[in-house]
Amino acid sequence: MPTSRSKAPCALRRSARALLAVFLLHVTVPGWTGPAASPLIARFVEETETAGLQSRFEGEDEFMVGGGVAVFDCDADGLPEVYVTGGVNKAKFYRNHSTRGGPLKLQEQRSGLELTSATGAYPLDIDGDGNMDLVVLRVGEVEVFRGLGQCKFERANALWNIKTGNDWHTAFSATWEPGQSWPTLAFGTYYDRSRPDFPWGTCTPGALLRPDPKGGRFAAPEPLAPGYCALSMLFSDWNRSGQASLRVSNDREYYKGGQEQLWKIQPGKAPTTYTAEEGWKRLQIWGMGIASHDIDGDGYPDVFLTSMADNKFQKLSGDASRPAYVDEAFKRGITAHRPYIGGDIHPSTAWHAQFADVNNDGWSDLFIVKGNVSTMPDFAIQDPNNLLLGQPDGSFFEAGSVSGVASFRRGRGGMLADLNGDGLLDMVVVNRWEKAQLWRNVGSGSAIAPAPVGHWLQLRLRQNGGNRDAVGAWVEVQTGDRVQREELTVGGGHASGHLGWMHFGLGETSQARVRVQWPGSGWSDWTAADADGFYVLDRQSGLRPWRAP
Amino acid sequence: MQTPESSHRTTRLRHWLGQAMRAIDRALATVLLMTPLFFGTANAQTSVTVAPPAAAYSAGVAYEWFYLVSQLLQQTPGNSPPVAARSLGYLGLTLYESVVPGMPGYQSLAGQLNELSSLPWAQPDEPLHWPTVANASMATMTRMMFSNASAENKGRIDLLERSLPLKYPDDFDPAKVTANITNRSETFGKLMAMAIMTWARTDGGHEAWGPLRRNRANYVPPSGPGTWSATPSKYLPPLLSWWGEVRPFVLTSTQECVPPPPTPYSQESDSSFYRAAKEVYDISNVATQEQRQFALYWADDPGKTPTPAGHWSYIANDLLRSQKADLGRAAATHVLLNMAMSDAFVAGWAAKYQYNLIRPVTYIQLFIDSNWVTPLFTTPNFPEYPSGHSVQSSAAAGVLEQQFGKNLPFTDNTHNDRGWGPRTFPNFNAAANEASLSRMYAGIHFRFGSEGGQAQGRCVANKVMALRLKP
Repeated sequence: MPTSRSKAPCALRRSARALLAVFLLHVTVPGWTGPAASPLIARFVEETETAGLQSRFEGEDEFMVGGGVAVFDCDADGLPEVYVTGGVNKAKFYRNHSTRGGPLKLQEQRSGLELTSATGAYPLDIDGDGNMDLVVLRVGEVEVFRGLGQCKFERANALWNIKTGNDWHTAFSATWEPGQSWPTLAFGTYYDRSRPDFPWGTCTPGALLRPDPKGGRFAAPEPLAPGYCALSMLFSDWNRSGQASLRVSNDREYYKGGQEQLWKIQPGKAPTTYTAEEGWKRLQIWGMGIASHDIDGDGYPDVFLTSMADNKFQKLSGDASRPAYVDEAFKRGITAHRPYIGGDIHPSTAWHAQFADVNNDGWSDLFIVKGNVSTMPDFAIQDPNNLLLGQPDGSFFEAGSVSGVASFRRGRGGMLADLNGDGLLDMVVVNRWEKAQLWRNVGSGSAIAPAPVGHWLQLRLRQNGGNRDAVGAWVEVQTGDRVQREELTVGGGHASGHLGWMHFGLGETSQARVRVQWPGSGWSDWTAADADGFYVLDRQSGLRPWRAP
Repeated sequence: MQTPESSHRTTRLRHWLGQAMRAIDRALATVLLMTPLFFGTANAQTSVTVAPPAAAYSAGVAYEWFYLVSQLLQQTPGNSPPVAARSLGYLGLTLYESVVPGMPGYQSLAGQLNELSSLPWAQPDEPLHWPTVANASMATMTRMMFSNASAENKGRIDLLERSLPLKYPDDFDPAKVTANITNRSETFGKLMAMAIMTWARTDGGHEAWGPLRRNRANYVPPSGPGTWSATPSKYLPPLLSWWGEVRPFVLTSTQECVPPPPTPYSQESDSSFYRAAKEVYDISNVATQEQRQFALYWADDPGKTPTPAGHWSYIANDLLRSQKADLGRAAATHVLLNMAMSDAFVAGWAAKYQYNLIRPVTYIQLFIDSNWVTPLFTTPNFPEYPSGHSVQSSAAAGVLEQQFGKNLPFTDNTHNDRGWGPRTFPNFNAAANEASLSRMYAGIHFRFGSEGGQAQGRCVANKVMALRLKP
């Protein structure tokens, strides 16, 4: 190119000169505060070995996708347990014995969940008994376990009439439809297992399981057809109508004529997809994972879709009358299309994605797990996970390397969750053919002396009736003039689920106000809450602090 | 008001600033030179420069890849004419989509082609070097399209990818293209090829020599008066009976472009059908040397030549080179031409297996002369109507007329190395007509088969030319 080399230094010189000018202004002009400070860096310390996490996700063709982890508290101590799928290896359940604020400690425990061919897992309380149940996605029949309390489980497929068939199950989400005490479950599948020699164009349909009107079980599955090889799905109230729709991210590697989907799930009606006439814009990506959060504060969830170097950040355009989205990944600096360290220049392969505030500055961050499908030569082999810190201007800052989480293993599923109750989100990642990894978030400190990076608040919702955890609720946390907003969902990511404390970073603010829009209802009143605490917000009795037993 | 003292301080500050700027310049130059592999990430959204458009480069990259592909089509097993046209279609699309972000005023064809809604797009802040993008995308797609090529030919693909920058130093001037831009451009090119191949795998024609062929091996052609049956001398089973079901690039259905119905079948000696067969028979007995040459020239046999689609692709590639076309123009020409030819074969094959019409050799042996054989080469192993070469040649001529002009005389060098060229034609239509009629001279088609194919081919060309390359 004629000009690139000659102009590049000029541009950089100009930038450097501008920086120098800014520096000089800063030191010579009293009162000038300068540009916004760089984001707070939360440091992570890997504790895989010391914590006792010993899991590997392995297997050949049918295990090229999946590799999920479920994080949920099943013994009511406030510290979530960890369930890691293993592909051809047995999945493992780890009881969380971490010391609050201290090193992570996971103890493998027999639980009845030790399944082979498990690829993903999502916790939720299906029967509303207050014990967390678990949905395990498998290459083969989905297995659903009923929680019995104290981390005991029993297989519940027959009890609840869950018949998913022998497909290759790769995605899950759940919602409570209006007036229902039991959830509606959605399952996504990959391609026809009987056609391994020519899988292209053989994606199998998904299934929707709705509560049986007689109660206590599910009705016969309704097809989600056409299926386009779903690798992630998420029920979310995209237009704040009070009724969640099902977004499905599909892997175009295998489908024929497919696209990303948004299913209308209306009570008593068969599911249908939103059409172009209704505003849905066709999009084809190698869809792998979904993360959802109201990043721009407009009251509607934004969606991040992972893919092979073609990741999207979708923001609702116009009013919420039509599901029309525009891509703002580039604008916000979260295309994440190539490794940012390590020297591998090939495109990235992104899987699990999750929005959460790891540095407690009050701005949601984006965590992306990455890894080559196997050894695809045209995609990066050295593909580090991303930790993109949200900034007040809406852009994101890559901190994967400085935070210490830039793993080069073949990542798949993952989860950010506070595993030691210190208000800092820790990280677990499942890798294909390699050991899963665990990092403790030590804030601005070290493993020996963790230090906070900002205030925080964690919240669990409680209501009577079937949907005890209030899945589908919207929580708002106000600090100063700013309101953070989060929808409580079950699903998304890549084969990985979490249900438990909702975490909010509060920055330098030591007090916040909290309110919730309960599913199918209006907003509660604002209630004040001190920072750095755990709270239960009960629909009947209001907000109360939660103390560890 | 500025005092002498403050003025002095300002002068000193300016002097110090100047020194500091020069020091920064030196440091930055050092950093740039010492970090040749640095590349920007999405988070370092610094626009280094504005990349020159694809039009700033020669069509050399396109020429070299399509030239190699013409040889691969000939030498790689399984590249029967429809399969070869499909390969060219995807290669044309790959070239276009990989450089269209560098073609101001043009747009991606995603959203206009069947079941292709979107493709990756170049990062707006990351300048790309379009010859490098095209080289990487064409190399990647060629490898995937010819995955069953011989080891020697796979080596030629690798060699061409490596050697192109040396062969076209003006386009790949290392003094003007930084290592980071080269790396980034290769990445984008490969990603585009991967995305298009992902789509290609679902068209029903992927790897036609492999699993698809095995799955379709049970086809039994219908029988009855006037229907096709295996032809001498090898009596091969029908070729690619399902190719009419392959997803076209542009046609929403093969019914969008159908040939007029063939002449009604009849065995009566005073029927139009009989007369058509008699014409083929008579010409075979009195064909001029010129007509025989035409027949052989346009035979375009698989395994011996680049096939009919490869022949027209060669003509276009040669013309672009002789006219010193730029990379953008070459991409626009190749995408339209090659997709049109591929769709022509799909539509033509759908009609062939719909009408399932008897070949002249079968009819003539039954009702005119039982000892007659086609005079120049054996009849291809698929039904007669319409003439596939006629459909495809007319589609090609239609696109090339749009791209180069209706009355452009041109020289065809495709068969120079076989000693049959160069040949000069007054225009594309004349060449297409000659190609079409050559099938009758060869004794493998009726006149109405050639003419019906021409009408269908023109229809396909019009559909493809209706694509909106520009918004």
